[in-house]
Amino acid sequence: MPVVRPTGILALALAFAGAGAAVAQEALVTNQPADSLSVVDLAQMKTVAEISLSGKPAGIALSPDRKTAYVTAPEGKALIEIDAASHTIKRQLDLGGGPLGIAAHPSRPEVYVADWYTHKIVVIDTEKLAVVGEVAVGQSPSGLAVTPDGELLLSADRDSDQVSVVDLAKRAAVATIKVGTRPFGITISDDGTRAYTANVASNDVTVIDIAARKVVGSVKVGRGPYAVALSKGKGFVTDQFVGTISVFDTQTLGILKTIEACDHPEGIEQSAADGAVYVACWGDNKLLKIDPVELKITAKAEVGDGPRAFGKFLR
Amino acid sequence: MLKKLALIIAVAGLLPAAALAHGPSRQKVKEEIEINVPAAKVWAVVGNFQDMGWTGVFTKTEGTGGNEAGATRVLTLPTGTIDEKLNKYNAESMMYAYEITNVDIKVVPVTNYSSSITVTADGDKSKVEWKGAFYRGYTLNDPPPEFNDEAAVKAVEGLYKTALDNLKKKLEAGG
Repeated sequence: MPVVRPTGILALALAFAGAGAAVAQEALVTNQPADSLSVVDLAQMKTVAEISLSGKPAGIALSPDRKTAYVTAPEGKALIEIDAASHTIKRQLDLGGGPLGIAAHPSRPEVYVADWYTHKIVVIDTEKLAVVGEVAVGQSPSGLAVTPDGELLLSADRDSDQVSVVDLAKRAAVATIKVGTRPFGITISDDGTRAYTANVASNDVTVIDIAARKVVGSVKVGRGPYAVALSKGKGFVTDQFVGTISVFDTQTLGILKTIEACDHPEGIEQSAADGAVYVACWGDNKLLKIDPVELKITAKAEVGDGPRAFGKFLR
Repeated sequence: MLKKLALIIAVAGLLPAAALAHGPSRQKVKEEIEINVPAAKVWAVVGNFQDMGWTGVFTKTEGTGGNEAGATRVLTLPTGTIDEKLNKYNAESMMYAYEITNVDIKVVPVTNYSSSITVTADGDKSKVEWKGAFYRGYTLNDPPPEFNDEAAVKAVEGLYKTALDNLKKKLEAGG
């Protein structure tokens, strides 16, 4: 068969796609009971690799260049560093306690891990892969998120029903904001103005004005909300106990639709480029793709047993 | 059978003050059974949130709110009671989802338990699927054996298996 060389616009398009930063190419899904990480090709919505891990992996964050994944293993009490391109484990850092929530700094080589049992956030230098600091926060910190300017870290302190605002330069909590009951996931808007917590026990999402350190609203969603994704002016919330995705308007805070999704939807994130929303289904072992305009599930991929994908898992 | 189940789920020991957090890893149990009875008949029994008599496990079901989301029930076991809440009820797809709102871990060694029961038609037969998601009884690191992940899974698996076997026998016998 003759080799056809792409020319003109096609060649340009291919070159652009090859550059790859714009469109999320892969999802890295932590499968907690399976002790693995599924690599899902998002164009095909197909698992192309499953990386064996240990210690019941749950939380995930990516380096600023998205070439390295950092996974928390709450039972292994460790942080696992994975080369996302070669699908290999690079290093592991023993942390003790109960590492769960994790977020990466947008530009510095630094990740932050919430310790569920010792009520602090540890600061990890990812070049040395060593703990370089810690910040005391409320009880059982869960979801973490860093503002786009890299100045603040927000921690959903689950059992204190609050969000701690951590000044990353000072490595200290500078404010706390009362939210709904048992906040778990926390997501910051792309412009860095607002944060949204999914409150497992009060079945709502709290909306925070980050600069004002104030709650500006809340949205009633389905039972057991786990985390929030933001896309096309809408919030997408995984309602664990009723298997739905509640979709709300981020301006009016009104519910737009409740999408029947799957058994125990958990980790959720939007693709930065096209806005598609991806959801890990813990009960059904699937990754769903949701069209953020049509508000419909458009594709499903099989992943390992018990996917959580708690954090930022699209690269 | 009741005795055996009571043994499976009855656990001894003193507990530390209940913490709010839960264990590090959520556990998953799924049991299913095929029943040689049409799905509508099976759902007529299983689909009543206010009567868990079909399980052969609970000696009493008392509740309010019927089959509406938000309904509650209290299930009685020889060892204690379980408070549950109905989160979702879909008669068309023959499924409902519920959670435990209160239970002593000495009665069932789980926390943060949520579950769903689904009946699926297969010609003149049907399939009943019962799925549970929960954390172990002990909410901190290094659990005692009676409140670890294995103990939690064993208790829920034992309950589902016993109840589904009982349902099959009862319905296939024409009850």
